[in-house]
Amino acid sequence: MSKYLDLSIKEINKLLKDKKIKPIDLVNEVFERIESNSDLNCFITLNKEEAIKKAKELESKEVDNIFFGIPIAIKDNICTEGLRTTCASKILENFVPIYNATVIDKINEKNMIIVGKTNMDEFAMGSCSKTSYFKAPHNPWNKDKITGGSSGGSAACVSGRLVPLSLGSDTGGSIRQPAAHCGIVGMKPTYGRVSRYGLVAFASSLDQIGPMTRNVEENAELLNIICGKDEKDLTSARKDVEDFTRLIGKDINKMKIAVPNYFVSDIVSKEVLDNFNKTVELLKKSGCTVDYIDIKYLENAVTLYQIIAMGEASGNLARFDGVKYGYSYENPKDLEELYTKTRQIGFGDEVKRRIMVGSFILSGENAKIYYDKALSIRDDIKKSFDKVFEKYDFIIGPTTTTPAYDIKEDSTDPLKAFMDDVLVIPVNMAGLPGLNLPIGFSKDKLPIGMHIVSKRFEEAKIYQLASFLEKELKLNLDPRGDKNE
Amino acid sequence: MEKLSKEEVLHVANLARINLSDDEIEKYRVDLKKLIDEIDKIKDIKGYDDDLMISPVEYNTELRPDKEGKMLDYKKALENAPHKTGNFVEVPVMLNE
Repeated sequence: MSKYLDLSIKEINKLLKDKKIKPIDLVNEVFERIESNSDLNCFITLNKEEAIKKAKELESKEVDNIFFGIPIAIKDNICTEGLRTTCASKILENFVPIYNATVIDKINEKNMIIVGKTNMDEFAMGSCSKTSYFKAPHNPWNKDKITGGSSGGSAACVSGRLVPLSLGSDTGGSIRQPAAHCGIVGMKPTYGRVSRYGLVAFASSLDQIGPMTRNVEENAELLNIICGKDEKDLTSARKDVEDFTRLIGKDINKMKIAVPNYFVSDIVSKEVLDNFNKTVELLKKSGCTVDYIDIKYLENAVTLYQIIAMGEASGNLARFDGVKYGYSYENPKDLEELYTKTRQIGFGDEVKRRIMVGSFILSGENAKIYYDKALSIRDDIKKSFDKVFEKYDFIIGPTTTTPAYDIKEDSTDPLKAFMDDVLVIPVNMAGLPGLNLPIGFSKDKLPIGMHIVSKRFEEAKIYQLASFLEKELKLNLDPRGDKNE
Repeated sequence: MEKLSKEEVLHVANLARINLSDDEIEKYRVDLKKLIDEIDKIKDIKGYDDDLMISPVEYNTELRPDKEGKMLDYKKALENAPHKTGNFVEVPVMLNE
């Protein structure tokens, strides 16, 4: 079996340019790897025929950019024209989009090759990818462990070296938390940085698409091509496209870093804290100032997230009614029964729970009691973050409270999914960018990640700090271990 | 263990347009109570100011120019509809009698 996929994107790009390999070699290798690792269950739908066709078409074209001919996997809540997009739900089991999400158009413009749609929590609701209608993906570091979620398949296929890059989406940690559990780099960009057009909406004021990669530089490169203003998404930011790699390799001396006390409190396991503290020491030794601070309302972020995310989800998922697309209950006695039975049978448990509570939150007087109050406190959280960034370049903390837990662990507690994301949710509240960087391993050889957060639209600075640490830490992030050596 | 009443569960299920079996009602009496207790914690939060943050977007909505764009072909738009008649999406009877 060839091993081109173990090379960096830059190295692969050179081989393609020098005509030593063709895109089809990469595509064949991807599908060999996916097929021999099918037990990881990373994919819901493979795009093999189309990928091979595209690879052959590219043979007559010039290699004009770094991602030319590079295979990529896409989370299954991002619409791909002609390629089934299920959101890991029975209700969209046979849904084939009739248009592309803006990020897919951008990927196609660069002649990347989409190899498949990745497994995830149903409608991105969950933190272990176990709410998928298509059964959970498995963690490449230990198949008995969760991948995290909701972008679990996107994290596992990159971690397992099946595909070099993937796209995920993050509403309350869904890129960063699985990236931490699977030992990869995952970025949730600033809200508005990447167009949400064609991303099946969960909570519109929180959702953001982002890159998931093996290393920092390739993450920045991928963000370069997916970002930008889009007239089809009125919340996309009026920001010029910039080069997010421009600060990589630059000195981090004298940078000011804040660690919120809550992020290193007793909610975090000792193993995770030990790894985090070691990294903090490294930053101090490298000339950074690290201060421990308090940020108001941080401990309330999960409650606020529940109110805002479930409220918005109840509205967004009202469109699944058995009329326009998706599963439809057969022979209903009237329209009402079509709606209620389609949704009973089509949605899984987690989704139904969230829609019901969301409807409760937004009904009558409750909208004031819960939703409006949550939006007020959300504004306060944002202002608290803004204040911190007047003095500091970054806020850091562990990405997760523990390493990945057993896939068999009981996950019926409706609060568990939210608590798993307790350290990453506040960033979505404030619309800030945040990145997971692998910083070490647990005693059971499970990856542990650090969360790096900056001011809005300062992703380039996050990549600067992350690439410095990546270079210093020199971790072997390939779960295949010796097999690769 | 505290639970919602059956009527309370049926009320939220109706708001969400979800039919529930008897088993589901029993399950959600516990699950929804847990979630609602959790969000009730917001009632204890004090000292915040009244400004609302509806979206992280800090600029005014900019509408695109009012120019004719690409239209979706109706045949394509109907491709995913589970029931259709001619150029229309088909739905069951809305009004009896």
